Amino acid sequence: MTRDETNFGFLDRCDDRVAHLARQAEHYVHTDPDSCLFKLRLMIETMAKRLVSMSAPAMVDADLSSMLGTLERQGLLPRRQADGMHAIRRDGNAAVHGNSTPTPTAMRRLREAHGLSGWYARNIARGSKVDPGRFVPPSPPLHQSSEEAKLNGQIERLEDEIEEQRRRTREALMLFREDEDPEGVRKRYRIELKALDMVAAAAGEPVVDAEFVALVMAMDLEALFEHPSYGSESREARRNAEAQLAEVKSALERSEQAYLSQRAELVQEMRMHKRRQLRGEL
Amino acid sequence: MSSVNASELEIATLWFLSARAMSAADGTFSTASQGAAGLYAQAILGVSEAACEEAKKDENVSALTLLDCLGRLAGVSQDVGEKILTGVMMIAYANRTMHPLEVRWASMLASALKLEADDFQRCCVNARVMSGMLGTHGADEIGSRSDPGPESESAP
Repeated sequence: MTRDETNFGFLDRCDDRVAHLARQAEHYVHTDPDSCLFKLRLMIETMAKRLVSMSAPAMVDADLSSMLGTLERQGLLPRRQADGMHAIRRDGNAAVHGNSTPTPTAMRRLREAHGLSGWYARNIARGSKVDPGRFVPPSPPLHQSSEEAKLNGQIERLEDEIEEQRRRTREALMLFREDEDPEGVRKRYRIELKALDMVAAAAGEPVVDAEFVALVMAMDLEALFEHPSYGSESREARRNAEAQLAEVKSALERSEQAYLSQRAELVQEMRMHKRRQLRGEL
Repeated sequence: MSSVNASELEIATLWFLSARAMSAADGTFSTASQGAAGLYAQAILGVSEAACEEAKKDENVSALTLLDCLGRLAGVSQDVGEKILTGVMMIAYANRTMHPLEVRWASMLASALKLEADDFQRCCVNARVMSGMLGTHGADEIGSRSDPGPESESAP
């Protein structure tokens, strides 16, 4: 693919702004991968805003993560697309905060953005035919040396590892596996629950205090924290839960940081190599 | 997976099975509880990411019926049992409605765990606290992984 060609021409008809950002990202993928990531992040933010404006206008000014969460909860953002958007968001944020992006990483996210754009265009241009075509990686401006190709290979392997780890983290956090049919599983449990309910009712099994359950559900948290009987215990429960949650989040963050450091080392190695090339030492 | 020990896997399996049943009980699948489930398992029950993944394999969670689940819950410690029930109630509270089958499932769990009325009430109160923290915001927390957003959109 030459510099004047694009993978994102199909977006022109449905969203000029997104199409423009996608082209810019494509333009920068080899020459300035960090800028490519900035543009991709802005592109998915623009997509999310438009999708949210159609379903939950009050959330339009929320941060990107919250908008994606809202779309997921409303069932408007399938898991695969959500994973792709979160990957771009995370890598885009990392680039904005000074973590260097290698070209192979930017290329992966660009490829993902192409797939996401097809899904987005189909949602926006309902009824119209959308054909994103096959993604063709933009060609590098210069021929790669064998040393560069080797470093890019290392980066690709690291990216595979990062993607696999992120996939596993998300799989572990979800109630259902990605390859399961939640609807089918839900039906199965409903059948079992109804059968158990009938048996329990026939056997006169005791039922918990449903009024208390409903009362607690209706209480707002402030009222609960001030409650004479439950206040102190619930405040303590909250403190403990917050601390435990923070621990899990910081472990996840550490693992992401470790990957970012490895990425940065490889980018640094690539830069040194290019400098040596420019000085004619290679 | 060799890194997961049997008791950790047992807790993770019982948790996911109990939680799935509660999320199915009201007849509407709550996506809010999707992400909160694993976060609860790791943060509160202390099971590893690997155990969460392993528990959801067909040979574990899908191989058990809800009756099996109740039978096995009778064998867990009171502390773990209360944490499981708290998490299950957190899922019930996430969509702010209570269906009769949800009440029945909570009753069966409390009975299997041999909880006194006071213990059950404590679990409910703690679940309400957690539902505020995890129930509706869990997925966002996972997605964000605490990374900050860009400070400006001043990219070239």
